[in-house]
Parts: sequence; structure tokens; C-alpha cells
Amino acid sequence: MLWYKSWLETRWRFFIGLGLLLLSAGGIVFVYPQVMKLLPRASELDTSGELGQRIREGVELSRDYRGYIWSQWMRQNLAQMATFFAIILGSGGPYAQRSELFTLSLPASRQEVVRVRALAGLSELLIIVFVSTLAIPLVSPSVGQSYSVLSAFVHALCAFVSSAAFFSLATLLSTSFSDIWRPLLIACAVAAVIWLAGQVVRDLAPYSIFTVMNGEKYFRSGQLPWVGLVVSAALSAAMLYAAGTNIERRDF
Amino acid sequence: MAEAAVIDTADLRKSYGDIEAVRGLTLHVPSGSIYGFLGRNGAGKTTTIKVLLGMTHPTAGDVHVFGLPANVSRSSVAIRRRTGFVSEDKDLYDFMTVGEMIRFTAPFFPTWRKDLEERYLRKFELRQTQTVKSLSRGMRTKLALLLALSRGAELLILDEPTSGLDPAMTEEVLQALVSHVASEQMTVFFSSHQIAEVEQIADHIAIIDRGRAVLAGTLDDLRERYRRVQIVFDGDAPEPAFRSPGVERIRRKGRVLTLLTSAGSDHVVNEARGLNPVSIDVMPVSLKDIFLETVVGED
Repeated sequence: MLWYKSWLETRWRFFIGLGLLLLSAGGIVFVYPQVMKLLPRASELDTSGELGQRIREGVELSRDYRGYIWSQWMRQNLAQMATFFAIILGSGGPYAQRSELFTLSLPASRQEVVRVRALAGLSELLIIVFVSTLAIPLVSPSVGQSYSVLSAFVHALCAFVSSAAFFSLATLLSTSFSDIWRPLLIACAVAAVIWLAGQVVRDLAPYSIFTVMNGEKYFRSGQLPWVGLVVSAALSAAMLYAAGTNIERRDF
Repeated sequence: MAEAAVIDTADLRKSYGDIEAVRGLTLHVPSGSIYGFLGRNGAGKTTTIKVLLGMTHPTAGDVHVFGLPANVSRSSVAIRRRTGFVSEDKDLYDFMTVGEMIRFTAPFFPTWRKDLEERYLRKFELRQTQTVKSLSRGMRTKLALLLALSRGAELLILDEPTSGLDPAMTEEVLQALVSHVASEQMTVFFSSHQIAEVEQIADHIAIIDRGRAVLAGTLDDLRERYRRVQIVFDGDAPEPAFRSPGVERIRRKGRVLTLLTSAGSDHVVNEARGLNPVSIDVMPVSLKDIFLETVVGED
């Protein structure tokens, strides 16, 4: 029944996340014909400096559909939105204010409550990431393009495993704070700092969790970022373990 | 032979940093009793209840419920499986409806009583489709009570069950509680700072002050033992120096000496006669008087 509670507690976050990611994925696919029309005019743009280099890179990637999907969906929208909804799903936790004593009065151990809540949130995150990403090969034929289901699956896997680390961070923070806002804001701040560090210091980018999340290695060389995935998964496991230990020690 | 205890604490202590919320509390709650846990706000009642239910870890001392250590995670789960609980704030899930709250709670308790669930849904006029968030304070209390009573629990722990309720709602809740306990075999342990409601339903009480039990026993025994003795003299009352057992408080005001005794009045009256008073009156003491004398009198 803890599953039932977790589901009722997070269902709107899940539905909103799923809806927004599906809309975003669909939007990216459906604007591709317009992007194609604009590409020839891209050479007229003044593209000097760091920003120019980014624009040129984006234009080059968009010349083929696979590159376009990777640059727009995997690298931008999916990475940002999966991170955000992972944090939202992990924030609050099973012992949130105004209801914690009722939960604590139930014959379920604190570890069990945290474990079920984490598994429920991770399941929702998995569905959000996979359904929205796998929708791309499904709707691509409607704009006369095709996208590999295998690629979509691999990118979704990378996005899920990496964003799960942010989910776990929010879960861990939620075992220390009884409100939803502080875990959410702190985890968002951590994500923003990591993302900005990768943007500002280009040498750090290959080691960034967002590089693992967007599956750049797989996109460019066809190889899975195993090290990044294993590190992300280990980090998640460690944070969820710490969350369980933390909640066990806590006084309410 | 001592009565079997459902709740047993010995020298229980709980500190939050430098603040000692519970300071060596010893309690013995007999099976089948309605035990009123009386104390002022901040006396340590809620902390004690949280320790009993494994919500807070004790700093020191022993705490057993149903003979199981309440500070061990596994046995705490077993304790909660046999216990109904209503918190002071009536913590419930605002995002659920009444029906969802019931459907969520019932499967945790193998002894869940569908008949009681239906009875209290009717009695409390709770609509299953109504969201918890939209319930008034009184209706929220009723739902919390329904969820606690329908568990088929052997022990009911209520933390200030009527706090924030108007007198009519308080009466309704207390009546429901009394009639439930009359028909079911269970122990009730409830905290309150409302003396009248403790007096109305409890058969045992403990008064807690600054984290310590300052008085405990059956209500009838306390009423029997406690007496107020008023001694009036011709001139100013003499400096009080009573050797009789059980003299808890002595107040001197002009010609009058007032004593509170917890061991009957015979010894005190005999001793007072030796002081040549004009009159000696022995009066029964209400629970409110006992409470005020033992708690407020210590200030």
C-alpha cells in the first residue's frame, strides 16, 4: 500500500512531466521541416566568438536528422527536463510536513517507506524518459524522417541513469528537510552549478554528468559511456542508502 | 500481583541538544485501562508518545510496549501493528480523499475491522469522496479517529485528541471514544491538558511536569487519598511544621493554614488538634485541584 500512497502523492508531478516531455519531443520532431528550410540562411549569420561556435555546431548537427534530434532533444530538452522532473519527483519524500506522524504510526519500517517511495519515483522517471524519447522514432515518419529505436532506447537509458542521480540527491535531501522546497531548490542549484561548470570550463565537459546524460559518446562513436553510467548508478545507490540511514536516525 | 502493563517506561530520558524534554519518566500503564496522561503544554507528553511509537529515539532509559522494546526498529513495527494512534495535529494525507485514506490504511492492519469502518463512516457522517484537505478540524479529527479505531488495535494512543475542537465536537469525540472502549477490549493512553476530559473518561492518570511523572495512580484512589485540610486559628496561624505522612503543600494566610495531603486526613487532623485551632475542616479535592497543586504549585 506504500506504493499506492507514493503514486497518489506524485501522480500529478508524473503526469505533468510526461505531458511536457511528450509535447517537447513531438514539437522538436514537427518543427524539423521548418528548420530544414532555414538552414540555407544560417550561413548569413554573423557567427564569431564562443556563441557563434555553438550556433555553427548546432547548424552543422541539424543538417542530418539524427544530429538534429541529438542536439535538440538529447543534449538540450531531455537533459534539462529529465533533470528537473527527477528532482521534482525526489523532493518532498515520504515524511513530508503535516503527514509524517501518520506515516510513522504505520507498521512499516522507515527503510521500507523510503525504499518504496524511491522505487516508485524512479519508475515514474523511467516512464517519463523512455516514453518521451521512444516517441521520437514513432512520430518521425510523419515528417518524412526516421530515427532508430535502438538509438532512442540507448539515449533514454543514459538520460534515465544519469538523471536518477539527481532524483537520489533530492531524495537524500528530503530526509533532512521536512518541506518540499529546500530539497528542490538545493538539488536544482547543484544541477545548475554542474551544468554551468561544463559550459564555462570546456575541459570539464567530458566529465560532466550531463555529457553522460545526453549520450554524446554513443552519438559520436556508437559506444556506451559505461564509466559515466556506472559512476552515476553508484552515486545514486550511495545517496539512496544514505537517505535510508539518515531517516532511520532522525527524530520526528 | 502487579497488573500486566501494556506500556512500561523506566527512567526514560529524551534530550534535544541542551533541552531535556523527558527527564527520567517512569510509567506503568495497566492493560485494559483508560490512562490519562496529564500535563501542561511542553511538559513532555508528545515526546513521550513519540518515543512509545518509535518516532523519536530515547536518549536513555527503558521503554517497552506490549513487552517489546520500543526503541528497536523491528519491534517498533510490531508495536505499531497493534496500536491505533491519533496525533495532536491529526496528521493525514491532504492529497487523498477519505476513501483513499481508508483504502490505504486498512491493508497495513491484519485486524482491520470493516464493520467498525462502516459504523464510524456513518456515525461521523464522513463522505468517502471528500478530500482530506477540505475537511474541517472536527471532521479531520473524526477521520483520524475512524482510522485509529478501525485498526482493531489492542492499544489506542491519542495525543490531545480534542485539541482545537469546540465543546460540542469535543463531547461527540469523547462519547465515541468511551462507547468504543466499552465494547472493545483495549487499553487507551491519551494525553491532555484538559482536566475535565481526563476526569470524564480516564480511570488511571499520570501527571507529568517538566518531563517527570509527579503523580500516578487510579483516579478513584487519588480522589480517596487526596484531601484539603483547612485549619483556622484565633490569631495568626503558626509556622507550619507538620510531621504527618503525605503532606504535599502547606499555605499560611492570616489565621488560616491550608494543607494538601495525599495520604488521607486522619493523621493531619490529629496533629492539627494539638495546635488548638478554632476549627478544622476536611474537604475533598478535585482532579483540577490536585493538578494545580502538583504542577502549578511547583512553580
